[in-house]
Amino acid sequence: MLCPHVPLSNGSSFRAAFRLHLLAAALAGTSSLLAGPKPTAAASYHQNVAPILEKYCYDCHGNGVGKGSVSFDEFESDAELLAKRDLWLAALKNVRGGLMPPREEGDEDARPTADEIAKLSHWIKFEAFGLDPANPDPGRVTARRLNRIEYRNTIRDLMGIDFNSEVEFPPDDSGNGFDNNGDVLTVSSLLLEKYLAAAETIVDQAVPKVAKMIRERTASGREFRGNGATGEKLNARNAAKISRTFDVDREDKYRVSIELEARGSFDFDPGHCQLICKIDGEERFVEDIVWCERRTMRHEFELAWKPGKHVVAFEVKPLPPVEAVASAVTGTSGSSSTSSEAGLAATTERRTESGRTRSGPPATSVNMRIASVQVVGPLSPQHWIVPQNHARFFPDGPAPADAAARDAYAEKVLRAFTTRAFRRPLEDARLQQLVRVARDVYLQDGKTFEEGIGRAMMASLASPRFLFRVEDVDPAAAKDAIAPIDEFSLASRLSYFLWSTMPDDELLRLAARGELRKQLRPQVARMLEDPKSQAFIKHFTGQWLQARDVESVPINARVVMGPNAPRNRDGRIEFDGAFRRLMRSETEKYFEHVIREDRSVLELIDSDYTFLNDRLAQHYGVPDVTGEDLRLVKLPADSVRGGILTQGTVLAVTSNPTRTSPVKRGLFILENILGTPPPPAPPNVPDLEESKKEFKGREPKLSEMLAVHRANKLCSSCHERMDPLGLAMENFNALGSWRETEAGQPIEPAGKLVTGEAFADVRELKKVIVRERATDVYRCLTEKLLTYALGRGLEYYDTHTIDDVVDQLSRADGKMSVLLLGVIESAPFQKQRTQPASAASVSLVSHER
Amino acid sequence: MKRPIALSREELAAQRHLALNRRQFLRGLGACVALPMFESALRPVARAAAAGAAPGALGVTPSGAPLRMAFVYFPNGAHQAHWWPTGEGTNFKLGRTMQPLAGMRDSFQILGGLDHKNATAGNDGAGDHARANATFLTGARARKTDSTDIEVGISVDQVAAQKIGHLTRFSSLELSCDAVRKAGRCDSGYSCAYQYNLSWASPTTPMAPEPNPRLVFERLFGAGARGERQANFKQRQDTQRSLLDFVMEDARSLQRQLGRADREKLDEYLTGVRGIEKRIQRAESFGAVPDPKVETPAGVPSNYGEHMDIMYELLAMAFETDSTRVATLLLAHDGDNRAFPQIGIAEGHHYCSHHRNNEELMNKIADIDLYYMKHFAKFLAKLEEKKDVDGRSILHNSMIVYGCGNSDGNRHTHHNLPIVLAGAGGGTLTPGRFTKVDSRPMSDLFLSMTDRMGVQGLERFGDSSGRLKGV
Repeated sequence: MLCPHVPLSNGSSFRAAFRLHLLAAALAGTSSLLAGPKPTAAASYHQNVAPILEKYCYDCHGNGVGKGSVSFDEFESDAELLAKRDLWLAALKNVRGGLMPPREEGDEDARPTADEIAKLSHWIKFEAFGLDPANPDPGRVTARRLNRIEYRNTIRDLMGIDFNSEVEFPPDDSGNGFDNNGDVLTVSSLLLEKYLAAAETIVDQAVPKVAKMIRERTASGREFRGNGATGEKLNARNAAKISRTFDVDREDKYRVSIELEARGSFDFDPGHCQLICKIDGEERFVEDIVWCERRTMRHEFELAWKPGKHVVAFEVKPLPPVEAVASAVTGTSGSSSTSSEAGLAATTERRTESGRTRSGPPATSVNMRIASVQVVGPLSPQHWIVPQNHARFFPDGPAPADAAARDAYAEKVLRAFTTRAFRRPLEDARLQQLVRVARDVYLQDGKTFEEGIGRAMMASLASPRFLFRVEDVDPAAAKDAIAPIDEFSLASRLSYFLWSTMPDDELLRLAARGELRKQLRPQVARMLEDPKSQAFIKHFTGQWLQARDVESVPINARVVMGPNAPRNRDGRIEFDGAFRRLMRSETEKYFEHVIREDRSVLELIDSDYTFLNDRLAQHYGVPDVTGEDLRLVKLPADSVRGGILTQGTVLAVTSNPTRTSPVKRGLFILENILGTPPPPAPPNVPDLEESKKEFKGREPKLSEMLAVHRANKLCSSCHERMDPLGLAMENFNALGSWRETEAGQPIEPAGKLVTGEAFADVRELKKVIVRERATDVYRCLTEKLLTYALGRGLEYYDTHTIDDVVDQLSRADGKMSVLLLGVIESAPFQKQRTQPASAASVSLVSHER
Repeated sequence: MKRPIALSREELAAQRHLALNRRQFLRGLGACVALPMFESALRPVARAAAAGAAPGALGVTPSGAPLRMAFVYFPNGAHQAHWWPTGEGTNFKLGRTMQPLAGMRDSFQILGGLDHKNATAGNDGAGDHARANATFLTGARARKTDSTDIEVGISVDQVAAQKIGHLTRFSSLELSCDAVRKAGRCDSGYSCAYQYNLSWASPTTPMAPEPNPRLVFERLFGAGARGERQANFKQRQDTQRSLLDFVMEDARSLQRQLGRADREKLDEYLTGVRGIEKRIQRAESFGAVPDPKVETPAGVPSNYGEHMDIMYELLAMAFETDSTRVATLLLAHDGDNRAFPQIGIAEGHHYCSHHRNNEELMNKIADIDLYYMKHFAKFLAKLEEKKDVDGRSILHNSMIVYGCGNSDGNRHTHHNLPIVLAGAGGGTLTPGRFTKVDSRPMSDLFLSMTDRMGVQGLERFGDSSGRLKGV
């Protein structure tokens, strides 16, 4: 909320928050800790703040002038003045960002002094908002549904399988720029249906249904080799000998099932051969193969094998060609019949692989392949094995036969499972309910203990306790208006923030012992070192910098790069999926580097390095980079690269399909780097095209048209902020490649920030941002990170929390670790309003409408 | 194959486990076939008697056949010069965009003069794309927020679904061809929810549409290969019912511990659970699931045209099998900027739509409109071919709105919206005309449609001013 909307267009949630506060104050005696105007606020306004506003703001926002519908001297009462939280928040933002009062030529000295700005922000934060820096109001996060990414990762860690939720579930909505926002992660009947189906599929795949099973090994045709041939594709005209060895370690009976397939081209081919199978040198069967459209052969043998190596071998012996159409050979041979299912499946597979049917008559042929060879055994029950994953869910092995002992085991298994699945211990009554679900199944005839537990696991995966991140406060402080969240909640907050997945055993163990808070910093360090922290890097940069979009943004490389477009090995113009992923990796690795090496976050804007391989370096015009590996490359002294603004990712996602968009690029910097976005364009904006008339028939450059557009009063206030930033980046085309001219005319990147700092080109722009607007960058990044970490939009009462992190960053030269820990140790991350505050807010708001 | 003589329970289970694994493997393969053209071999399982029904009866045509309504949304408005026909009434000449419909003039009408004033800027400033999308089926003004408090209005399809949904296995179907979403923010301070959903079950609950053809198919007809689907469908339903009891109780016990805002999230969940329970009960009352004689379609095709075709096809199948009578299809969200290389357009749609009277861009936008229309025409032709229980075509017994909440994409206007109303509503509509009205709310058309669906007692909808007569 704070970062995007400086203007007043979006006051509803502030209004809501305000009403909420009034109500909370009325209902709950304890709520004085929550933010709300101080009793002295009005008096101190008239004494300290009004004079400053009168001096600097009344020209436009007072004395009857109400630019932008803002005037500071027309409040009907002090109560109304204090109620305008959105106004004060915008004022704070605009004054601190140097946007207000607007800068005028020769007027540089007539700006508020640092002391005056401090006075104003102090009043807004501590008087009007009534924030208590000693015990900040942490707000409250709604129970969050797991989004698709979190769901997938959680299933991976909980169940040990990969469930592709991005295909199976509909896309999540995002709020405040991120897709982990609890309030917009809604649940519909359709989605629940999908959760139920997913629970079933997942348990089916992950949880064994039996305690013991016969070992089963399946080899594909590809694994049969000899003299350059493989069992994947054999031809009647080519003699071949192929084999594969199976190791067994127990003396017992084994079942060997062989499935072969012969397949002819569409047109008749006279090819003819024998296919001979030998097991351990002994001939087992001979198939006579002639042309047929399709034939499946199955053979099954039960063999007594001794420990050691056993060889299954096939030989193709070409025979003289046949002359007639061997129409008699259809259907099946061997010990079992062709399955229509198998036929269907194989057809399917072929069609999917090729993607489309090939045109033109292919050469005729008679082909064979070893579809599969399966060795099942040892067959004697005493040699059966424990299925994969059994120990993961059933630590004590198979269930005891005794009914009571079995129920006790069920309870044990499910207690361990639900503690992980629900990320906190499950209360006993519910656990017993779950045991009953399992028992109802495993007491049925023909059902195993494992199937029963599986059913209870399905129920758990469909439970709101799994699907939602429900938080609780520390019971010791539950009576206070503001309380620390309990340690299990903290474990989940940490793990979903830094890993996008459930807490691991160590976090849960620490939480259970109440020691997580004590070990917060070492745990955060451990979590960042864990490879799972890639999820944070990927999803945070993916959304903050829109790096996700670079893979799909429609950019036409042919148009953008012209005849010089680099081509890949297939002769296609590069900037295909692989190239786009490369750009995305650059951004991710770059961000990761700043985290891992604990660099200043300002290096995200400007640095003397980036991550390149040969292709990307060539695209960027950086010399002397060879090899495919993306790696840290120190840039030449005069390089324009270094910093996210000069990376293909950002440059492409802010472009149109055939050309750059200086407006989008400018907006991107304001929104995501400086944190001072302009309001959305007003209705009835004049067309950019209108400005064409000024050029009397001549085709103007984009920058010229923008200049005329800016001259229009209605457009200027925002475009003066956006355009110079975007135009500074005009040297980069829509794919991020360097250029000196556009439409045959030289590019003029020089400009000025609306706060007055001048720059000659993008190199200087980066330096100006780092040198002059570091605080803005710190604040914007803090806001983005806090929004992502909390899963809620920011509110007025978060102002001081953010300022506090920004101060820490300023003192620590912007170190990334300070930012991360600042967010993690902040009140809104560590604490929660206790229940009553949220009581009637929603109904109040909806009635008001 | 030799076996030990007496198998223990565990052994039997082990055998079954093996068999099951094999079956799943095959099933998995069956699921990734490209969808071939469907033959019209499905038998409608319409429950409505073909004998005739009282006028205005719930969800049926005057002949008693099922009456369907669908809403198809195309993005970014239409190029005005090529969209609108010349002439009026039955005497009209189709413009360039509607040429693909030329062969079935008598099966649709073009409506001129319908407005969505709640999609205009009003006091809300920029965000015409988000509003166009959000207002299209709701007739309501979307609350401008990118945060927690999204709110617009219940959509017309859901009004109908809530009244007639019990007549079919699915009360409604929400489809979309937007499989990938943009990261970060959407249009000018509006939540992405406004742009990616057409259908709203309540003013605050969007119905997320499904973009994956395979999942739509499996939901309608069951997973697996032909012949296995009915059993799979039933088995899944049985398991689900056993789970629902537990999770319902679980949600309630959890709800007792929670604060208000969290309780509301749980309410959403409980509503969802009840919805599924009802659907399962209802499904059982309809007997066996139809098993279409086609392969299950694969996932999202990379070719956009193919994707549209498959979604249209699934919609047609759902109507033909009377699996639902209410559907929405969002071809792409308003503001969509996809390029159309398949027809030689490298620029994005949204970019082209702001053509600023540039001839080349105007031509491109008209080509894109035409491309969309071609696919819609194919869909109508398919519905025209399929025969319903009363011997008429499915199209005859349908009301299909094809349109956009933006009229002129270049200027973001929301009056005189580009709307085609296809089908004869079972004889209650008079297609074959260019019907012009003098600036009436689009919501009036919606009321006229819900009347025909037999929805009783709906006085107003969205910003309606009355019923749209003479359609």
